[in-house]
Amino acid sequence: MRRRLSAAYEWFDERTAIRSLLRKGLYEAVPVRGAWFYTLGSATLVLIILQLVTGIFLTLLFVPSVTEAWQSLNYLKEHDAFGSIVRGIHLWSAYILLFVIGLHMVRTFFSGSYKRPRELNWVTGVGLFVLVLGMAITGAFLPWDQAAYWTAVVVTNIPAYTPFIGSFIRALWRGADTVGPITLSRTFGIHVWLLPAILFPLIGAHLALLRKHGEFGSYINYRGAYKSREGVDVPPAPAQRPIEPPYPAAPSEELWAAPLQTEDFYPHQTFKDGIVSAALVIVVFILAVAIGAPLEAIADPATTSYTPVPEWFFLPLDELLVLVPQQLIPLVLVLPTGGVLLLLALPFIDRGPERNPFERPAVMVPGAFAVLFVVILTLLGSGRLFNL
Amino acid sequence: MIALLALIAPAFHGLQTQLPAQAPQGNNIVGAQIAIGSLFSLHILIAGLVSGAAELGPAIEFLGYVRQRRNYDRLAHGLGRFITYYFSVSSTIAILLITVLLVGFWGHFWTTIVTIGWWPLFIEAWTFVLQVSLAYLWYYTWEPMRAFKGVHMAIGGLLAVASFLQVYMIDVIASYMLTPTNPQNPVRLALNPTSYPLTVHRTVGNLAYIGFAFGGFCAIRYLRAKTAENKRFYDWAGSFGLLWGVSMTLLQPVVGYSYAKEIQLHSYGSWYKMMFGSLSPVFLWQITLLGIMFLTATLYFARRLRTDEARGSGILKLLAVGMVLTTLLAAQPYALGFSYETVAAAGLNRPFWDGGLINPLGSMIPWKVLALMFYTLIAIAAVVWYLRGLPGVVWGSARRGEQRILMLMTILTMLMMVTMGFIRENGRGPYLISGEMTIQGQQAVPSAQPTPQSSP
Repeated sequence: MRRRLSAAYEWFDERTAIRSLLRKGLYEAVPVRGAWFYTLGSATLVLIILQLVTGIFLTLLFVPSVTEAWQSLNYLKEHDAFGSIVRGIHLWSAYILLFVIGLHMVRTFFSGSYKRPRELNWVTGVGLFVLVLGMAITGAFLPWDQAAYWTAVVVTNIPAYTPFIGSFIRALWRGADTVGPITLSRTFGIHVWLLPAILFPLIGAHLALLRKHGEFGSYINYRGAYKSREGVDVPPAPAQRPIEPPYPAAPSEELWAAPLQTEDFYPHQTFKDGIVSAALVIVVFILAVAIGAPLEAIADPATTSYTPVPEWFFLPLDELLVLVPQQLIPLVLVLPTGGVLLLLALPFIDRGPERNPFERPAVMVPGAFAVLFVVILTLLGSGRLFNL
Repeated sequence: MIALLALIAPAFHGLQTQLPAQAPQGNNIVGAQIAIGSLFSLHILIAGLVSGAAELGPAIEFLGYVRQRRNYDRLAHGLGRFITYYFSVSSTIAILLITVLLVGFWGHFWTTIVTIGWWPLFIEAWTFVLQVSLAYLWYYTWEPMRAFKGVHMAIGGLLAVASFLQVYMIDVIASYMLTPTNPQNPVRLALNPTSYPLTVHRTVGNLAYIGFAFGGFCAIRYLRAKTAENKRFYDWAGSFGLLWGVSMTLLQPVVGYSYAKEIQLHSYGSWYKMMFGSLSPVFLWQITLLGIMFLTATLYFARRLRTDEARGSGILKLLAVGMVLTTLLAAQPYALGFSYETVAAAGLNRPFWDGGLINPLGSMIPWKVLALMFYTLIAIAAVVWYLRGLPGVVWGSARRGEQRILMLMTILTMLMMVTMGFIRENGRGPYLISGEMTIQGQQAVPSAQPTPQSSP
């Protein structure tokens, strides 16, 4: 039996070069220090795959029309326990994905991993973050319950504040002056076709670039090479370092471009990745079973008693919109747009070789404030919603 | 002993006959308010520092460990010493406030609020025990546990958590008094409409306050320092304190505005009083004072860089000009009278060019909101430029002018703390608990003693 399996493997390898592919994929050198931080990237990938699988399942049942959308999901809720859990997994993995991808970006930002030659890794990562956010927002429209309808009303109105073309974009998305059947079918198309069509090639590009340049980033990998500001030299980096591809063997400028110590991706990093991803999947499953995906009453545009509540990831922006007076709303909407543009431009603004977060105040201080503002606005927004 | 008792017993007896039969029941409401208000201000001024130090100290110790810098360790240790000195002072004032003034003057109110907020006050009491235990442990094990820095930092972390909890619990009570909810539901009580904004506002405020305070303290020590090492340390620590204080303060416009918004939504009368009524001049002073604080800090940054000819001083001066203009915009009064309320009552609520007493440039929307946005943006830019210039600074070379600015900042911050406390506590007036218990009403509580009646 073993011989037959081996022969089959040889046959397959002769035709596909699977052995060298696996060797290349599994035995690449990764940094020893900071390895747990790097698990956030693989956890993001696992959660996106979970989204894909559960999403395919849901498309088999979901009917994207204003008369059937809610009915099809209500059928799951009332008569199909397995389907209901799958929908719960789809929802909770989306929520946790947003959180994990945010943490992954924060880690990359603080550790300066976006610096040369990894600028495009960062740019594709920002693109992925925006797309995942887009998936979450468009996904929130689809159940066509009260929450979905009023989310659609608020969100499709936001582009209207864009100068000159705002009304056109709103009309294009809604398909009419108000939110209705065309809005739902267009949003469904965006959610299951348009955004994934961009998302998955971008994931491929992100991974390819990661493989090209190697995992890199957290300055703690390179701590030995730093000189403190007070002029006290910290111990120099060891002369002999186990440098393996893809890391360059020569120091670049004042910083080493390679980690102090590396290990094989398999089994060391894959083990850590597996632990974190498995833990997250278990959490998702528990939440899906215990809480599930809520479904409110069917959308009723004529209601006057319903109080719309934004999705949690929308809270910071919602809180800003509540705080800022009507005249200044366009100014507030500049913030997220400007924020994304700044994020895309970050590697081209902060081009110095320094990676120590304490030595990059010009980038770290505004970045830390941006993170703090988001956290504080989320807290304040949740407090406000609790007392509605 | 018996002879001694025989000697002093008549004196005690005489004293007993002179004591009032019951606590004062509010014959002098204004006097009680002044006594409680001033002692609370003093308590908040010290307790804010202690809470801030207990949260910031462990963070600085951690920073020092990560960056392997002795200065941070020395500063964190100094903050630990401050906590051990002043914790008991702050607690004594708090106990005096509760046992003598609140129970004595506002007994009915105190009984009511303890009944409503029993759980928060119970947790509050235990956080005191936790805080004092951890504070002394953290400070006195500094050297013995140097080899176990991780454990020591964990103790510091617990101290910070205990301090935060303590602030949060008392904020539950303070915010309930402004925006009461269903007192039967402990979750509703803990998450009443202003509890989040007040907790965030006060935590960030305490963290800023301790930064400004030790900045001023270090300025005094710098001027008195005899050795070059001490001069280097106090110069650096003063700058660090101010930088930290400004960094925290620039979160406050958003948090404070959110707090005001919640008051508007849930306690409109108080909000109206703050924005348009008798407290509006104090509110105007507060927003102006915030600008003066940011301006003073920017001037320090510019001067400190100029002293060592480090880069960025010129841009900081430009930012200071921007801050002056923003402060002037923020300081514009809306009503050119005592308050909008009085102007409206006189029928003069129209623009001044139409013969009225309204200055549209002083309106909250959009001008003061814009001023708050500019405060934040200019302050962020000032912090970034100062940090960029810091590698060119030689610690220990600061001049007297910079140290005077640091001391001024401490005074301005204390003024801000008192102003904010005054606005919040008086915003409720005439209520002690908004819409539920008036100061007057609680004072007029009938005595539990039976009324003397003539014999049949």
